[in-house]
Parts: sequence; structure tokens; C-alpha cells
Amino acid sequence: MLKVIQLDKTYGSNKHSLKNVNFTAQPGEVTAIIGPSGAGKTTILRSINQLIRDDSGQILLDGQDIRQANKAGLRKIRHHIGMIFQNYNLISPLTALENVLHGRLGAKSTVAGMLGLYSNEEKTEALELLDEVGLKEYAYQRCDQLSGGQQQRVGIARALMQHPKMILCDEPIASLDPKSTKIVMDILRRLAKDKQLIILINLHQVDIAMEYADHVVGINSGAIVFEGATKTVDDDVLQKIYRQTDDAKTVVSANEN
Amino acid sequence: MIENSQPKPKTIQPVAPQTKHVSLVTRPRKILRGVLAGLAIITIYSLATLNNGNLVFADAFKSLGVNLNAMFLHPGVGQDTFGQLLRALVTSVSLAMLTTLLGAVIAFFIAVGAARNLAPSWLATTIKAVMAFIRAIPTILWVLIYSVVMGLGASAAVVGLTFHSVAYLVKAYSESIEETSQDTIEALKASGVGFWPIVFQAILPSIVPALLSWTFIRFEINFANAVAVGAAAGADDIGYFLFMAGSFYFNFHEVGLIVYLLLAVAIVLELVSMKLRGHYLKHN
Repeated sequence: MLKVIQLDKTYGSNKHSLKNVNFTAQPGEVTAIIGPSGAGKTTILRSINQLIRDDSGQILLDGQDIRQANKAGLRKIRHHIGMIFQNYNLISPLTALENVLHGRLGAKSTVAGMLGLYSNEEKTEALELLDEVGLKEYAYQRCDQLSGGQQQRVGIARALMQHPKMILCDEPIASLDPKSTKIVMDILRRLAKDKQLIILINLHQVDIAMEYADHVVGINSGAIVFEGATKTVDDDVLQKIYRQTDDAKTVVSANEN
Repeated sequence: MIENSQPKPKTIQPVAPQTKHVSLVTRPRKILRGVLAGLAIITIYSLATLNNGNLVFADAFKSLGVNLNAMFLHPGVGQDTFGQLLRALVTSVSLAMLTTLLGAVIAFFIAVGAARNLAPSWLATTIKAVMAFIRAIPTILWVLIYSVVMGLGASAAVVGLTFHSVAYLVKAYSESIEETSQDTIEALKASGVGFWPIVFQAILPSIVPALLSWTFIRFEINFANAVAVGAAAGADDIGYFLFMAGSFYFNFHEVGLIVYLLLAVAIVLELVSMKLRGHYLKHN
């Protein structure tokens, strides 16, 4: 279980700041963080694996406070947190298989990591994971020759290669067409159920959040304004999450249509 | 409020067109013309006062023709055998290869410290400044400086050439590293991967084509330098033979042959580098 308690982060400008953020995310569930642009969705996600250092608060993953970890401890914790990105962030001249194997680098010694020495078991596992996301026949393709949806699935396989407790997804479908979006979201939901992972997703598409998430965290101007089961989200809640911003009207009306 | 000191007519009256001189010459162009005129004056003055040492120009040009003819149309071996020359040529190529390889390996590690997206900015700035200083001094001078310490010969040539290669390649490599996307680096950092594995597994594969082409350019430079350095440091390579044939034995046939040999090597290097680059850009 992920438990975020009283997380604060101040930037020079008010944008992206966090104010007293509290929420929980359960294994086996897809938790969506929704809110207007600039509300701090990405800041929350990046605070959880400490890519952004926050000012104060607690981030408990299975009871262990990530913020208290030292450098080596943090690397160990990060190794059990997968992350996928809007722009996939794969090493594009390498093959899909090599990119998936990168998920094991964090578990290796410096020398083995530098030289990229992988055991046969690891290679077999990487192939199985590619199969699991439906890309077995693309294992030896360079990643820049894959479509966006395929690259995102390679990203998911790379995250799974870490044997994660949790996968953080930073706008994973923002660059994808509807068909690829469905494939990626279906995979993420299946992973949450089958492997009992914590799946935490930043989304700006409310309809996708409604369709796939079990649990919704609404954020506005850096503060949590709603947290609850997806079925309890109604128009009033959405109004509250998206109030006073221009995206609010467009997103909510798009959702109603 | 806006009162001019001179009273203006209230109605617009036809003004007699003023025939003012219109110049097309802008300020920079005036400066350029001044510089060119100055240079022309200096040239004319120096030609007029030239001490030609009672040279007969017709004869001088004739001997030039004879020498060029001997060099390029009748190349041949002089005091040295063809085998000796070829061995010296191989020495030059080896000198270039060794210094480029040594330089490339050392430069890669220093470049990691000089890249702003990897190293702290004070370190990157310091390294870049030191490397710029080393680059500003020509290779041949470094060889001479090292020959003070190590004595004239091959060791001074190797160290001096490597030294300048490192400074050159650090700049090229660190700029290539800086072009890699911060996002891909962050993706691996987020999964708990340490610094050196990220450098070798994420950054290196992304910049192989750039590294290869910079290294090859430096190889070509080092070959040219090796010839010059060989003459200066007495490294017993083709440059030394060229120097001896040209300035000691005055054997212009041999000078011509050596120039042709160097040209052949330069062409081969260019062809190989083109092939190599093409291959890597296509397949990697």
C-alpha cells in the first residue's frame, strides 16, 4: 500500500506546488490522479520516487518512508517502483529486448550494469514480458521503428522487468491514439489485478479515468479536493476538481457528451 | 506644448527639391575599402622595394618547373629503399592510430565530467576551460614541450599527440553527450540505476554514430600531425624521411614519392571513414 501523508512542496511560483497532500493507493487497484493542467499531478508522481525532492511529509510504501532513505536505500526502493512516461523515454537506437532488460540494471553491480551482462534467465524473462504485452515478434526491432503505442508497451515491459510493487504512469496515453490508448490501459488494469500491483496514473482525460480507474484522486492548485471510489465521482465532484480553470469547462463538457 | 524655435509655415508649400548628394556607401563598406586600399599600398611598396638578390625571374621559374617535374612526374626512391619508406609510412599510421585510440578512451571518461547534463556545473566548466586552453596550443608545440621532458623521439610524439587529441575529443564528446535526452536518462534513474551503468547503457548507445565520426575526423588530423611531428621530434616516421629528403639530401624524387604515399593514405582513410559512418548511421 502506498500512503502519502501531508506532502508539501513549494516552488517560486504557485504553479506545480503541493499543499498538504494526503492519499492512499491500494495494490490490485488502478488509482488515477486527475486535475487541471499545472495543478501538480506530475509533481506528486515524481515526489513519490523522489525525482523531485519535496519539502516535507511522508511517503510510505508498505510502511517504509521513501523520504527517509539514504542514497543507496533510495536506489533500492526505486528499483521496485516502475515508471512509464508520456514520451516513453526508451533508448531509441536499442532493440525492444535491450530496453526491457534495462529494467534489471538497477539490481546489478556497477560493473555488470556498465557492461550490460544479463543472465539467460533474465533474457528469457524479458522475452516473456514482451510476449505479455503482445510484442514478442518485435523483440529485435529498434525502438525508434515502433509506433507510439508499441513503445509504451515496451516501457511497461521494462517497468515489469523491475519486479515492481508499484508502477507510476505519467500521462501514459497523452501521445496515443484511441486504439493504442485502449490497449495500454487494458494492460495496466490487467496488471493491477493479476500481479496485485499499485498502479498510479496521472491522467487529463476524465473519461479514461472513469472507465479504468478503481480509485480517483482529484487535485486542484496543489491540494487534494477529492479522494474516493470511481463510482462516487459525479458532476459535482468534477466541478470541484476542475473549478476556476479554463480546462474545466472543456473537459467536463467533453465528458458529458 | 511642442513649440519649435523656428516658426513653421501653416500651409504646406511646395518645397524646391534639394539636390543633396545620395551616397550608397555604408559605414562598414567604407572601412572595408579603407583596409583594402591600405593593403594595396603596402603590397605595392614592398614589391617596389623588394630585394630580389639579383634573381633572374625567367631562370628561377624554369628551375621551379624542373623541381616540380622531378617531384611529381618522376617520383622515386633516393637514399632509402621503398621498403624503408613503406615501413615509415606504417609507423606514421600507427602513431596516428595509437594516439587517437588512447585519446578517445581517456577523452570519453573526461567528457562525462565535462557534460553539463551529467556533471555538476562547476566541474563541467572547469574541465571545459582547461581543455580549451590545451587545444589553443598547437599539437606540434605540445610535442616539443614533452620532448623537453622525455627527449626527442617517439615517446614525446605519442604523449604530445595524445594530449591534444584528448582536449579536442573531450569537447566533441561532451557536446554529443549533452545532446542526449534528459528524459531517457531520468527514466533509468527512476528505476534505481547508478551513474556509470546509465552512462554505458543509455548514453553511449545513443551517441555511437557521433562519437565514431568525431574519432575518425581526429584520426585524420592525427595522421597529418604525425607526419609533421615526426619531422620535428625525429620519431623515425614518414615525416622524418620527408624532412631528410627535402632539406638534407635535396632528393626531390623522393619528396614526390612520399607526398604520393601520404595522399594515398589520406584517400584510403577518407573512404574508410565514409563507409564506417554510413554503416553506423544506417544500422545503429
